Order: sequence, then structure tokens, then C-alpha cells
Amino acid sequence: MKIHYYPGCTLKQKTTALDVSTREAMKQLDVELVEPEGWSCCGAEYPLTEEKIVGLAAPIRVLRQVQEEGGDVLVTTCSFCFAVLKRADKAIKDDPLKHKRINAYLRDDIKINPLTKERKTDFEEYKGEVRVLHLLEFLRDRVGYPRIRERLKRDLKSLPVAPYYGCRMLRPQKEMAVDNPDSPHLFEEYLEAVGCAAVDYPFKQECCGSYISVSLPAAATEASYRVLRSARMNGAKAVAVTCPLCFYNLDHRQDAIKEAFLDFQGIPIVFFTQLLAWALGVDKALLGLGEHSVPADGLFSEKSSPEVRP
Amino acid sequence: MTDKPIKKEKRIGLFVCHCGVNIAGIVDVERVAKELQDYPGVSFSTNYIYMCSDPGQQMVIDTIKEKHLDGIIVAACSPTLHEKTFQEAARLAGLNPYQIEIANIREQDSWVHTDKERATKKAVKIVKSHVAKARLNENLEPIKVDVNRRALIIGGGISGLQAAMDIADHGYEVILVEKNPSIGGKMIQLSETFPTLDCSQCILTPKMVEVSRHPRIKLLTYHEVDSISGFVGNFKVRIKKKPRYVEEKLCNLCGECEKVCPQVVSDEFNMGLAFRKAIYMPFPQAIPGTYTLDAENCLGLNPVRCGKCKDVCDKKAIDYDMKETIVEEEVGAVVVATGYDLYTMQALGEYGGEKYEDVVNGLEFERILSASGPTGGAIRRPSDGKVPGSIVFVQCSGSRDTEHHLPYCSKICCMYTAKHAMMYRHRVPDGQATVFYIDVRTGGKSFDEFYQRTVEEDKVLYIRGKVSKIFKEGDTLIVWGVDTLTGKKVEIEADMVVLAMAMVKADGVQDLLKKLKISTDIHGFVAEAHPKLRPVESLNAGFYLAGCAHGPKDIPETVAQASAAAAKVGDLFAQKELSHEPTVVPVNDELCSGCGICITMCPYNARTLDPDRGVAVVNEILCEGCGACAAACPSGAAQQRNQTDNQIFSMLRAMLRE
Repeated sequence: MKIHYYPGCTLKQKTTALDVSTREAMKQLDVELVEPEGWSCCGAEYPLTEEKIVGLAAPIRVLRQVQEEGGDVLVTTCSFCFAVLKRADKAIKDDPLKHKRINAYLRDDIKINPLTKERKTDFEEYKGEVRVLHLLEFLRDRVGYPRIRERLKRDLKSLPVAPYYGCRMLRPQKEMAVDNPDSPHLFEEYLEAVGCAAVDYPFKQECCGSYISVSLPAAATEASYRVLRSARMNGAKAVAVTCPLCFYNLDHRQDAIKEAFLDFQGIPIVFFTQLLAWALGVDKALLGLGEHSVPADGLFSEKSSPEVRP
Repeated sequence: MTDKPIKKEKRIGLFVCHCGVNIAGIVDVERVAKELQDYPGVSFSTNYIYMCSDPGQQMVIDTIKEKHLDGIIVAACSPTLHEKTFQEAARLAGLNPYQIEIANIREQDSWVHTDKERATKKAVKIVKSHVAKARLNENLEPIKVDVNRRALIIGGGISGLQAAMDIADHGYEVILVEKNPSIGGKMIQLSETFPTLDCSQCILTPKMVEVSRHPRIKLLTYHEVDSISGFVGNFKVRIKKKPRYVEEKLCNLCGECEKVCPQVVSDEFNMGLAFRKAIYMPFPQAIPGTYTLDAENCLGLNPVRCGKCKDVCDKKAIDYDMKETIVEEEVGAVVVATGYDLYTMQALGEYGGEKYEDVVNGLEFERILSASGPTGGAIRRPSDGKVPGSIVFVQCSGSRDTEHHLPYCSKICCMYTAKHAMMYRHRVPDGQATVFYIDVRTGGKSFDEFYQRTVEEDKVLYIRGKVSKIFKEGDTLIVWGVDTLTGKKVEIEADMVVLAMAMVKADGVQDLLKKLKISTDIHGFVAEAHPKLRPVESLNAGFYLAGCAHGPKDIPETVAQASAAAAKVGDLFAQKELSHEPTVVPVNDELCSGCGICITMCPYNARTLDPDRGVAVVNEILCEGCGACAAACPSGAAQQRNQTDNQIFSMLRAMLRE
């Protein structure tokens, strides 16, 4: 299976663990990931925060490129990229005027090559037919859990993992339409398919502090503390995330949490794809574990998750 | 009648109404009257500020007499409003009421246009088309039909009981159908009732007994209405009798069967907070006083499998071979009193009602408060039986949320939440009661005083704001909300949470209403014929509504509405005979080929095929004059009275000329 994959900028810079583990896991599942040629940043938060239409050009340009390459699905892992691409796509689908204006912008900037000043004559409008899927949705709907289960090479022995959705993946429900934001199941079912036990805890869709980490670190520290405390209290041995920013706040911030909250005990944070790759038999060295502040090596050991013979 | 030549030119009078500025503001009414003055067939034309007023009607009556008019056109509002008024005026003047035509130049013209010139031209065309039709109108007489003076009540809650009793007291027979094993409805589950705090069971059970003993009320519990055919005054009802597997008359309530029954299941009367056996009595005062065997939970209605209850029954009341049967009844009117249900807690995932035992809905808390409830009226939380040290009450759980849930107000929750909080403070004096509210709505006699008492005497803490999330930490529920008066987030620890869930249409009632062809509003509540002036009648003649089937309401209002519905049924039954509109669609036998298309088109089952003659025949009483058959008939054999093809085409010609 060949599929368009949008890693996003963070995965190419600070948080390569999510990218490499995704690639390794997909190899094991015979899914070939193709990056749209010349993809740019999705705009992170900005396309959604301003009413200006031009902000949508960045995400739509990516989707138009997928269309030009003949793709009908674009898969991402980063919750932020996912939200931006999906909501930008929906914004122009719902509003014919926006659709028209965005294509007018794209027509100009794609027709003229900025380097060679060469004019392209054939411009294909973005039709709004590319489906943006989170990798979790892709694994559930296109790959299917039975196929994942078939290929598991390690037994994770029902490791109690707390799924952390964060704020971006489920809300606003009408636009994201991924799962019920108040009682979601997507991540839980995925963890069970990989061989973990999903821990139910009330903070799975509370915010980790997100960008406030930059301007008001203490607020992010407290928000992250509450999430991790609740996960631990409910018996989790690790917290699984999908978003590089959640990873930053929940993992890198644990030293600050310990300073601020004396009762806090650390807990390793992992990407959902690291668990999958490991369970599918990928070598530990290829999981990007070096990027973790809180060591997660203990979770990925022969002892805790032995190989199974088919 | 369509191909008859017009023998003598009719003398038609035209009356154009201003409706204040409603019409005259946009349509030049004087010009309309003037332009039509010399139009073929029109012998008189005028305009007047309010045609529907007394002087307006008198003008119509006088003009008919003076000018010897034999056709009238009133250009005014929609015929749904004043057609009857002017038909009556015509009758008083000695003219056949079916010679009245209403040309709608308000709803279909002045209200929807802004350009005066074009609206006036349109009004002229509308009126001309009605002149064309009026020239061909015939004198008609209403079809007379007898009334069957028996009423069917669907639903045995407080509204159904009240309506049944009132109608029976008027001297008419009543059949009361209740789908559950006992009458009593939701009200019998309640503890105290606001604002007087009288015990709900104590005030309802006398009514239940009275209904069950009333000589003119036939009580059919554990029955369901299967279908209704016929028309106002003459309905035929098929009622499903569900097998109770216990002979009502033989059962002496000794209770031995219940003792030996091995099947323990969740008790719906106690909202799942207690258990009952598969053979059970819903509650001690149940009427009829008999056990019921619920086949779904029984081990198999088979003496080989279990048969314990049958063995111990001295009276031989238990009969595993009972089958579902159909009862047929004939009635003249139907009161729909099907009640309500609560919005499911599942829909509010963030409140955890499905996950945490100690998050309960209002009805569950009623059972906890009730002296006949699982705790005997002591307030204990469901998870571990502990007396809750603090309870948070969340009003508007699902109500008044246009974006995610239900846009309407459930009306009773403010009052019953105040009552819940007050009862809790009375029984657990050192308990902390906190109420989250959007506004407190206490419209009703002595309601606000009750609420003030809750706040001031019983020291219940009211926080204005919504709750965002409820979750459990250890043994305690954490409630997150906002206090919108201070603008601060609040976090409250509670042992129990009571959600005042929104009221919704009764579960499964939509199928029944569909069968009865009763219209509902977008939320599935039964629609009234007019929101202000006909609040207890359905648009479907012969159907009346009472209680929460029509929308959320409290007990006093429900009782008032039930009595009103009963009075309306009395109006109907007091008539010697009913008249049916004569504008039906008869069949011209000579033209009918018996193709049967009209029969498939008819939504009222008014048309059948006469196999001997090979033509369609019409039950004129069932025909509602919708015209579907007339439009579909390929040969023109189906012609609606005073709305014939000929008339429709002449209207079109009049409108399209120029």
C-alpha cells in the first residue's frame, strides 16, 4: 500500500522520534510512505486563528500537491498538523467563496516558479477531495487491527499505558469528527490492538499547556502535572502521545514539575508509533529513544516484552 | 359536473381587505378593487380596512342580500384563518357557504414582497384566478356522520388518569390503555412534589384507585395500541394485549411466586437502583393488583426448565401458555397522554453519568428520596451506601444547549432541583448542597417562594454557571465548573452528583404517533393545532393531547391540560352528529377504468376498488380532500368538488392571461 504522508516540520527537526518510529512501523506493515513533493509547513496554529483567508494557503497548497500527485488520502501523525490540515480543508469545502479565493492565490504562486521565474501553464485547482487522516484513523480503517495483530512480533504483556489525546485531535468535534471528545475510544482500541492495556483516566483530553509553555511556563508545568498525576493514579506505567508539543510538555518538563510539586513521581512518555514499531519487531535502536528526557528504555526491553514465536 | 355549461352568468362580489397595513402597506388595495370592477363575472367590488371585523362581515351579508350575489371572493389572509368566518356570513345571508372563495393576498403576497407595484399586480392576478374558480363553484352540503361516544386514552400516567376520570365523569365511556403492568406513570415514582412537598404516592394512589373502580372506565394495563383506523367520531382501534402469564383475577398477591423465582433483574421502577424478580409486582400499590411475569427474564416459561412459581401458586393463577392477543374497540375520540423520558446520560460523556454510579439523574434521586425507594428514603449513594457529605446538582443537563444537545428548557428542573437540594439538607443537616444553574426559572404559583426558602432557610449554595466536567479521583467526584458571576473556575469535591437531565419524548412513541398520523414538532413532542388558541387538540381531527407528550410541564399544568382535553372530548361528544367537509373527491363511474392508481395514492385509505363493477369507490367520510388521487387519475374520473380540473385550468388561464 502506498500512501501520502505529511510529517510536518517538528518531526524533521526537534522530534524525529515520531517520524522515524512511524516509518519503521509502516515498513513492517508494508505501507510505503510518500511525502508530497516540496511540502511546506502547515502554518501550525495560524491558519486557524485568523479570519484571513491567505493563512489557509499553506495547508491547502500541501493538499493540492497531493491531488496533483494522484493521491486521495494524506496521513499525518502530529496532532497540530492534523488539526490544521483537516480544518483548513473543511473550511474551504464549506465555503465556496473561500474555495475560489484560495485557488486564486495558489494559481498565482504555483504558476510562477520563484527561482526561475518560469511560468507554468497547467494549473489544476484544488478540488477538496483529499481526505486528511490521522495515522490512528488510518491504522484502524485502512490497515485494520486484525492485520496489526497478525504481525506482532513482541508481546507487550498488557503494559498499562495511558492514552493522551491532548486538545487538538478531537476538538472541535463538528470539524474534526474523529471520535466523541467526551468519551473517545480510538486511542484505547489502538493500544489494545498493539498489546497494551489502555488506562482509563479523566485527564486524557485535557490540555498539557500547549504553547503557553513559552510565555508562562509555570502554567504548563501545572497542567502537565495534573495530567501525569491522574495517569499514574489510575495505574499507568507510561503515557502515550501523538503530538510533539504534548511530548515536549509532558516529557521535557518533568524536571520542572518535580521542583514545583513535591509529590510528583516521574513517568515515561512515549509516542504511539514507538509502541507499534517495537511490538512489530523493530530494533530498539531505531525507535529514537535518545530524544526522551525521562528514560523510556525500561519499557522496551526483552524482559518486559519478549519476542513471540509465530 | 365539470362539463356542464355555465347556464347563467354568476353575480360575484369582491371584498378586498386592507388588514390594517398588513396588506394595504404593500398592495394597493383600492386599485385591486377597481381593476376587478369590470372583470367578467364580477358584479360588485369594494375594499375595507378589516373584512373580518363585525362591520366587515355585516357588509358582506348586506351586500349579498342587496345585490343578489351568488358568489363571493374575499381577498385577505390565508383561508386557514377566516374561511370559516366568511362561510358563516354567507350562510346568514342565505348563500351556500361553499360559494365563498378566499384569495390569499397576505401570506402569499404582501408579507413576502417589498415592491408595491409588482405586489399589487400579483394581487390582481390572484383575485382574477379566484373569480375564474368562483364562476364554477357549486352549492355543497356538509356530509353528516354519527359520533361514537367513547374515548380512548393512551397512557396511564397522571395526565391519562385525569383525562379518563373527567371524561367518565361527563358520562361517557373510557378505555384507558397503559403499556406497563400498572398505571401511575412517572408520577408514582416521585417522592415529594414541589412546592407543597406532599408525597407524590399519597396524592396519586387515590386517583389510581378511583380510576380503577370507575364504572365507566375500562382499564387495559400491559396493553399497547397497535393501530387506529377510521376518522373523528368513528375510530376502530386494535389493541395488543401483552401476555402477563398471571391471571389477574386469580392472583391473590400472596407473593410465594416471587420468593421462589431464581431470576434477579434490575428493577425499572427503582430506576435500576434495586433488583426485582422475573415475576414481580412493580410496586406495592400497583393497579391492577397482580403479579406479572416478565418473559424476557424468565428462565423459559417452561415447567421443565424451572416452573418454580407455577408449583407454589395455590390459586393456579400462573399460565405459561398465555399468548399475545388483539382487542378491538370502537371509539369516537383519542387522548394521547404518552408522557416523556429523560435524555440519556450517555449523551453527556463529560459528566460521567454512564461511568460513575454516584452520578445519578433526577428520577434516580427521586427513588433515593422516596420512602418506598431502595433506601427507604434515607439518602445514601449507590456505589457504597455511604451518606453523601456533599452533593452537587447540575441543572440544564442537556437542556438549553443549542450547539450540542436540546435547545429547549425542560421547565421543571429548576423546581425539582430546589426540592432535591432542600430534601437533602433536611435529611442530612450537615451536608453541603451546591447547585449549578444558568438561570433559576420559577414561574408558577408559590414557586419562587419555595426557591427562596431553599436558598435562605436551607442554605443551599447556588452557583451561576455550567459544569464542564465530572470525574472521579479515588473515592470522590470532582466537579469542574465556572462561576460566571465572579468569572472564576471552580472545582468542587462531591460524594454524589445529581444531573437534572432534559425531558425528551417518550422512548418508542414515534412509531405509535406515526401509525396514528399525528404530527409532532422537531423534537418528537406531539404538536398542538395552534400554539395559543388550540393547545390541547391535534391537527388530526378527533385526537387530543395531554401532559408531557406535548412538551415538558409540571404536575399542575399536566392536570389542567388533561382536564382541558377531557372538556374538548366532551364538546365533541355533545354534538348530535358531526359534519364532514363536502369538498371530497368522488369517482365518475363512466370515466373510471379501475386502474387503481388513486387507491395507492390515498393516504387516508378512503378509496377501494369495487371488484364487481371494476371501478374505484370512495368512503367520503374518510376522504380529507387532499387531492392526491385527483392529480394522479389518468382519466379524469377523480374530480375534487369545487376544485375540478376545469376550475384549476380556468384559474391558470386567468392568471396567465396578458
